[in-house]
Formats: sequence, structure tokens, C-alpha cells
Amino acid sequence: MKKRKKSGHIARTRGEQIGYAIIMLVLGLFAFSTIYPVWHVVMYSISDSKLSMSGGFFFWPRGFSLKSYKMVFQTSQIWIAYRNSILVTFVGTVMSVGLSAITAYPLSRKRLHGRNFLSMVVFFTMLFSGGMIPLYLQVARLGLLDTFWSMILPTCMSAYNMFILRNFMQGVPDSLEESARIDGANDFIILVRIILPLCTPSLAAIAMFYGVHYWNNYMNCLLYTNSTGLQVLPLYLRTVLNSAAANALSASSDLSSLGEAASVLTEETVKMTVVAVSVIPIILVYPYLQRFYTKGITVGAVKG
Amino acid sequence: MTQTKIAPNRLKRYRRMWRDIRADWILYLLLVPGMVYVVLFHYIPMLGVANAFRDYSAVTGPGAWRGLEIFEKLFSRVAFQRAFRNNIIISLFKLLCGFPVPIILSLMINEIRRPRVKKFIQTAIILPNFISWFIISGLLFAMFSVTSGAIPGLIRALNPNAVITNVLQDKDCIRTVVIGSYVWQASGMGTIVYLAAITGIDQQLYEAAMIDGAGKWQQMVHITLPTLLPTIIVLFIFRVGSVMNAGFDQIYALSNSLVVSKIDIIDTYVFKIGIEQAKFSEATAAGLFKSAIGLVLVLTTNYLAKKVDPDSGIM
Repeated sequence: MKKRKKSGHIARTRGEQIGYAIIMLVLGLFAFSTIYPVWHVVMYSISDSKLSMSGGFFFWPRGFSLKSYKMVFQTSQIWIAYRNSILVTFVGTVMSVGLSAITAYPLSRKRLHGRNFLSMVVFFTMLFSGGMIPLYLQVARLGLLDTFWSMILPTCMSAYNMFILRNFMQGVPDSLEESARIDGANDFIILVRIILPLCTPSLAAIAMFYGVHYWNNYMNCLLYTNSTGLQVLPLYLRTVLNSAAANALSASSDLSSLGEAASVLTEETVKMTVVAVSVIPIILVYPYLQRFYTKGITVGAVKG
Repeated sequence: MTQTKIAPNRLKRYRRMWRDIRADWILYLLLVPGMVYVVLFHYIPMLGVANAFRDYSAVTGPGAWRGLEIFEKLFSRVAFQRAFRNNIIISLFKLLCGFPVPIILSLMINEIRRPRVKKFIQTAIILPNFISWFIISGLLFAMFSVTSGAIPGLIRALNPNAVITNVLQDKDCIRTVVIGSYVWQASGMGTIVYLAAITGIDQQLYEAAMIDGAGKWQQMVHITLPTLLPTIIVLFIFRVGSVMNAGFDQIYALSNSLVVSKIDIIDTYVFKIGIEQAKFSEATAAGLFKSAIGLVLVLTTNYLAKKVDPDSGIM
């Protein structure tokens, strides 16, 4: 670190100063392009519809109104979608991490017979898949269509994440296991008490991978479910972004309680509110996620 | 282990194996759920590709075998040809534009001298990777919507008579939007691996170069880039291996009836004819076609990656 600082003090040529300015400008613009849209959406959603109609940049809200939030949260579907997304993410992540762990552990032990063959069996699923339709028909055959589990089970274990974990477990020395075995522990106890605690960093990383996957994924919901009771947040967002639906929402009768107020609510404000409501949870947990994610990627890359 | 190789008696080997399995039964039991999952949701569907060679109806199930007829029918369809062409165009542009950007960004980030600024920039540019494509389509709407968007609003403020096209509903612009939003979304994530590799470079190399009078640019060209090169080559090769995945999530989220002809890809085509129209055989054939190309590409690129760097292959 000290060395870095020193290099900063060395006099730089004019060309380098210009170069540095360009670099900061480009990176600054990129960072702006990732942060601003989220900010914009939130500011737009709390602006007064009459003032926000003309568009443009929103560094601050124009006027202030929470009418659209009131309206959006009055519809029951957003609560259903929220609940489903949270449930799928939570249950899915727990199941996926558990399944990956109990699969990775045996495959990481050299004494397992057929270890290479079984690893190959899992690995091949990364190279080739039957595709969307055969999987759909299989899900249908198992009677999972239009059930909560169809949003989790078909993508319950990612071979990639499992192998990250397996490689990490391979680094745990056998001697630790041997001493536990002498004390009378069986493989399951060894996994839970010794191996998993030692793998906390990579467990956290793959939990993040799975969590983000489940929260953002809408494929399973789109393919295998039909009922609105099982809709997840991204698909709810789709119906609202589709303007006809937003229109219906802003004109719907259960808003009569808001009286005239509802009539000045534009379709755009409603859309922005729903986008804001979908993106805010991510922004809140993002600082924590990012730390693990960065670790996970580098763990995965080091494996080679 | 050596003993088993020497002993020609197979029976003995199986007995030993059985004894080991019985002694270690918990270890083998732990493996069962994972294997059941892999068989149920990966291998049985792989067998399902048989439907690409026979009739299949949602009501009556498998019908008569057709050989390659279904593929012939599929390849003759204009919509499939279009999806295939779009798939290749979109994938290639994503590769060409999306691949260099993380490298350039990493090199730039590496030059930032203040650690806090560096951290801030990194945090900001990774953010889009965590946002689902429907939210991104909402953000794009917020930026580009003609009536209320940020950019059209700005343009109108500068020039009230400007004619503004809705880039999200314009046939000529949509591919640019797809490629651009992809680069915007994925680049931040791509920098992580490169930045980790850059951190590993010995600082003494830079000091020696500075003593020799090398400027920042020369340091980058002669030290940083050559050190990154193996990583770059390997990542490029793997990226080529998965080039057929043009991104269902994104395309589906950004599609609308006005632009679908320009961005319909094989995956969205399979979804449309398979799930929405229940033409299972043709959809399976289209999916198999894509998977097969993907497999060939992965195997080829893996072979190449191993040639470049023997430790790097995924197999």
C-alpha cells in the first residue's frame, strides 16, 4: 500500500495528467449511468405527477406525492408477488446450498469409489442440456406444473456452484477428519461440525449466487406456473410495465377512496413506483452482497 | 490402490468396494439427493430430445418416428431462420463489444489513486449485475420513454423542435439497445477477475520500469497487459464456448411486438412455439440444434484453452 502512495507523488507528465482526467471522466460517467437510473426512478415516483410528466433529469423530486405508493400497495397482487419472490429466494437458497453441500462433500473425498465418474456425471450437465421443452415435459410429468416447487426444484443445484464448494472442501486436510472419526463422529457429523464451518467463505459466496439467481429469475415462474397466486416480482413488473395494465391499475375502481387525487396520477408515475418498489430491496442489501460476490468470483476463478 | 491394480481378481475388487461402501454408507447416502436431482432434471430431459425425431402431442404423448423430417421442416421455416440469424448477430456483437470493455475498465480502475474512489467506482459499476432484466427494462423505459423519459426530456429542453424516436420500440435501434444494455449490465462483473489478476502483479516490476523512465502508458503496455494476457485468452475462449446463449432473460424482457423481428433468438423462438403454441417436436428440435452447437463449441474451445495454458481447461 505504501508503495502505491509513493508512486502517486512522482511528478507526472502533462500527457499523463490528461490521461488521468480522461480515465476519471469515463469511469465517472459509467458509474453515473449505473446509479442515476435507480435514483431517477425513485425521485420520479415520489414526484407530483403533474410536474413530472414532461420528463428530463430528476436530481430531486418535483413536488412531493406518495399517492402512487398508496395506490400500488393497495393492490393485493404486489403483496402476493413480493411474498412469492421472498419465499422462493429464501426456501430456494436454503435448499440449493444444502443440496450443493451434501453433494460436494462426498465428491471431495478421495476414498469415494467412482468419484471421478460421479463428478463427470454432474459436470456433463454443464456442457449439454436437453433444452427448455424436454425439461418442461419432465416437470409436467412429475406433476409439478403450477406449484410453488416448480419454481425451485428444476434449478435446485448449479453444477458450477457445487464444484466451487467441492474444490474448497478438497483443501480441508484429511487429518482433521481422522481425529473426529476416532472420537466416534460419522460422516454426517463431520460434514456439519468440521467441514462446513471451515468452508464458511465459499458457502457464503454460493449462497449469494443462489440468492441473487432466485430473486432475479423469472424463467421458472414463466414456464411452469399459470396462476397469479404464484407470480413473482419480475413478472408482476412486466404486467405493470405493459401500459395497458398500468392504465387499468390507475383507473381501477378500488382507488375510488383516493377520489380526484387518483386522476392526476399518470401511468408513468405508477410504472416508476413499481420499478422503485422492486429495486429498493436490492439496493438495501447490495453493499453486503457485493462483498461476498467479489470473493466468490475470485474463489471460482482461482480454481482453474 | 496399487494392490487393486495388480490383483486380477475382479470379484475381490468388488467385494472390497462393497465393504468400503458399507463401512462408509453415510458418505454414499449423502450423495443420493444430488444424484436424484441430476437424473430427474438433467438426464431424463436429455433423453427427451428423442422427441425431436418423432411426433409428440401434449394429449397423446409420443407418436410416429420421423427421422430428420422435423429438422427439415424447422430449417425451412422463415421464423426459425430469422431467430438463428438474430441469435448469431446478437451473440457476436455481445462478444465483440462486451469482451474488451471489462479489460479496459479494469485497467482504468487500476489507475485510480484514491482507494475510496476506487471502491466507490467498483461498487457502482457492479450494481446492474444484481438487477433482474425486467427491472432493467423499467430503468430503460425511465431513461428513454419519449413522453416522460430523462433523455428525451433533456433533448426537448435543449431543442423544443427535436424529433425523438422511441429507441425501445424502433426496429433500427433495438439491437443497439440490447447490446448496449448487455455491456452496461455485465461489464462491472467482468472486471472482478481482471482486477484480482492485476492485484497479483509484483509491484517491483513497476518500480523497476519507473526507474528506467517508463511512463504510465508504457507500464500498462509492457507490464500489466502482458501479465493479463493468459487470463484474457482463457476467458475469451470460454466466452466463445457459450456464444450461442444470446440471453433469454434479457431478450424476453426487452421484446415487444414492434421489434421482435430484430431480436427474436433461438431460445425465445423455442419458448414461443413450444410453450405458447405447444409444437413440442419442433421446439425440441430447435433447442437440440442450439445445445448441439453449444456442446461442440465448448469442447473445441476447451481443447484450445488447454493448449494455451495446460492448467486452464475446465476438463
